[in-house]
Amino acid sequence: MDDKTEVLEREQLDIEILRDVNLRLPAVAPREAFPAVPLTVDARLQTRAVGQRATRPDCRMHGLGQTKYIDDIKLPGMLYARIKRAGISSARIKRIDTSAAEAMPGVMAVVIGKEIPVNSFGPTFQDQPVLAADRVFHAGDGVAAVAAVTEQIANEALERIVVEYEPLPAVFDPVEAMRDDAPKVHAPNSNIYATKVVRKGDVEKGFAESDHIFEGRFSTQMIEHVSLEPHAAIADWDATGRLTIYATIGRITLARADMARTLKLPMSRIRLIGTTVGGNFGGKNEISQEPALALLSKKTGRPVKGVFTRSEEFTSSTTRHPIIMDYKSGVTKEGRIVARQIRLVLDGGAYCSWSATTLGKACILSPGPYKIDNVLTEAFVVYTNKTMTGAMRGFGAPQVCFAYESHMDDIAKGLGKDQLEIRLLNAFDEGSSSPTGQVLHSVVVKETLNKAAARFGWESQS
Amino acid sequence: MKAFGYVAAKDVTDAVALLAEHGAGAKVLAGGTDLLADLKFAPHHPDIIVDISRLEDLKDIEVADDGLHIGALVTHSEIMRSPVIRDMFPALVEAAYTIGAVQTRNLGTLGGNLVTCVPSMDSGPTLIALEAEVVIAGPGGERRIQLGELFAGPRKTSLKTGELLTDIIIPKANLDKPAAFEKFGLRKGQALALVNAAAAFFVDNGNFKAPRIALGAVAPIVIRAPKAEVYLEGRKITEDAMAEAGRIAATEAEPISDFRASADYRRDLITVLVKRCLANSHTRATTKAKELVL
Amino acid sequence: MTDVTLTVNGQTRSASVPPETTLLVLLREHLNLTGAKLGCDVGDCGACTVIVDGMAVNSCLMLAGQANGRNVTTIEGLATRDRLHPVQKAFEDTGALQCGFCGPGAIMASKALLDDNPNPSVKEIRDALSGSLCRCTGYTKMIDAVQEAASVLRNEATKQLTDART
Repeated sequence: MDDKTEVLEREQLDIEILRDVNLRLPAVAPREAFPAVPLTVDARLQTRAVGQRATRPDCRMHGLGQTKYIDDIKLPGMLYARIKRAGISSARIKRIDTSAAEAMPGVMAVVIGKEIPVNSFGPTFQDQPVLAADRVFHAGDGVAAVAAVTEQIANEALERIVVEYEPLPAVFDPVEAMRDDAPKVHAPNSNIYATKVVRKGDVEKGFAESDHIFEGRFSTQMIEHVSLEPHAAIADWDATGRLTIYATIGRITLARADMARTLKLPMSRIRLIGTTVGGNFGGKNEISQEPALALLSKKTGRPVKGVFTRSEEFTSSTTRHPIIMDYKSGVTKEGRIVARQIRLVLDGGAYCSWSATTLGKACILSPGPYKIDNVLTEAFVVYTNKTMTGAMRGFGAPQVCFAYESHMDDIAKGLGKDQLEIRLLNAFDEGSSSPTGQVLHSVVVKETLNKAAARFGWESQS
Repeated sequence: MKAFGYVAAKDVTDAVALLAEHGAGAKVLAGGTDLLADLKFAPHHPDIIVDISRLEDLKDIEVADDGLHIGALVTHSEIMRSPVIRDMFPALVEAAYTIGAVQTRNLGTLGGNLVTCVPSMDSGPTLIALEAEVVIAGPGGERRIQLGELFAGPRKTSLKTGELLTDIIIPKANLDKPAAFEKFGLRKGQALALVNAAAAFFVDNGNFKAPRIALGAVAPIVIRAPKAEVYLEGRKITEDAMAEAGRIAATEAEPISDFRASADYRRDLITVLVKRCLANSHTRATTKAKELVL
Repeated sequence: MTDVTLTVNGQTRSASVPPETTLLVLLREHLNLTGAKLGCDVGDCGACTVIVDGMAVNSCLMLAGQANGRNVTTIEGLATRDRLHPVQKAFEDTGALQCGFCGPGAIMASKALLDDNPNPSVKEIRDALSGSLCRCTGYTKMIDAVQEAASVLRNEATKQLTDART
């Protein structure tokens, strides 16, 4: 102790200790004075870590084959669940008869959509059911879940579940789905479920001032993450009414909130364990079968494991948004872009999932890393009766990158200019503004292009 | 998979008896790479699987008086390693190399590949171009037919109840016939053929002699291209002739359009692959290169 | 039921299983060797790769009955108490394992290659790995790992020869 501290009588000790300036009280950050000065990092600063070989701490277990993924976990008394998939893109469910399945020896419980307390969830719009109850919106929709003592029996039970469908009109093309006369996927709502517009300057004026106009349409396909590990979860609803879920989910706090919502359980009763996952890439960011497994566990009093088949990974888990991208650019004869107008139509699948986020990123990034004074991007995400589209590495960025770079090559070709040259002419510089007005720092686009071109001998190619 | 019975056959006679006994309810297990994958998706399932994978009699590769015998249970990996086949028919090695991946080739058998009878089978075209015969064991004894007669339709052989493919023979007359195989898939490995093709011919004073061209994945079964063959017979060997043969062969096929490729694209592929097969066969005929490069 | 007796990682193991049981299920569910993974169940992804009688195979495409009397090595059979197998060590050192799910399959496929071919070319390594799908790593580090492991194994073999002679 410092000699500035008073020496105290024992009776006063407790109170006085609190006044000792040398005691380390819980750290509280000093109040920030606004406006905050942003920290700008020198673009070329490398940390010492770059170029080092570093071993991931989990590699030891992976290399030994000792890592326990969900399918490697076996709890005592555990049952195996399988989900019956609709197999029809748009329909009303007239009747579900699970009695034959329930009567099978080894089948311990069956759950259907109507039994889910709140049969809807979703990060932006809660438009996705856990199991389809009245309506089927895509062929991968689950209509019933079965828990049995072996997976083989669960599979056979699916065949004994009888579902009567009344087929309804379906729409599969997002551009078609935007029309007023297209069948409404989630009637009475419009198929266009989110829109984003970025507007900078005046594109019409820009086009009028341009020497040449170039137009092009680019489209990308639906892509599935294909994590080597399929979606998997184990639900254990214990006798005190508490639910433990082992899940492959990345966003466990959101998942816990969604479990609470769909099962009408207080969050304090839910323990969600995110296990070591065998690949996510955005595809495991939300719940899917977990509430159904939870109810199966509740009904049977036993833990229930569900693992998607590889087919279900394609039909019944989120995928990357296909986007149809229309680009129109006005350029000077030197190749400087004066105006760019873009329309993006995202195929939003049967449910929203992370489409709003994807829409935002795609829209903001769609003009590309180029200095353009006049920009108009209108982006729409549209329901179709197909597998839901959601988060996947890049969140909309890869699709628009394909479009704006292909479009750039088309412009170069059209003007008879070198593809590298035209990019160097237009690329962002330090301090350039993005289309939404953000001032950009650590900008090294041109330096990178030049370095890369030198490395792979661009001069000799053209 | 749904439940089924399993029995390991002791020898060919035992296998034939078991197949005859169970009829349509039995399926033969050789490598299992096609059978098991099929059973996991198929709505039908067998009553019993007859495992013939250990019948050592069906694993011989040998040159006999009537030709080169390759046992039905020789695996694709064994074909790739066999000094005899590498020397005599590098085209068979090339074809085996394009099948699946190492794991598939270690288990998958030549007989199994032929008996799946899928139009895109990779072992079919080369053997058809070499006019191979097959030996079939059955309740009534053994019979020998042209390989082409084995194929009845997609996934449908002409084998009768109780019959088992035991041997594949390339006839003596074709033992030194240069041949080549080409496959085009969407990937270099683990890919189905959009089109595959094989060609074999003798060089007779600079002319094509006994040219044979086979095409896969462009008709319900592996087919020959007889018009292209007639065009080449006796003609001087030139690049133009090879190109024309490719164009004629494309007209003899009935490719379909599916999600992998359009019929037109497949026709284009035929012209290119046939031309390459003819060119590679010619190279084999005229050079003494011993090193097989895959 | 099919009765199966086989050698797994040097030990004799037996089980009585339904005939439709694959080798993969036999290993994972009956013998508690969960290293081999179920990624697709149809022999496309290679996550189930084990070594049977010296050959890399997709255990999801073999029936348990086919493995009767055979010699099977799984990922659990590579390391000893004293050390990792050079292939495991190399995969760890080069960063060839990220989520790790494809790891056991890729490591077994690599080991099968090196058992057969102590000095593989890059093309031969690619061929050996073409049956192991990986969505995380892009394979470059795996190829580095196999080359590193090959080098270590060759040096060990040379050392053993030298030791034997002296």
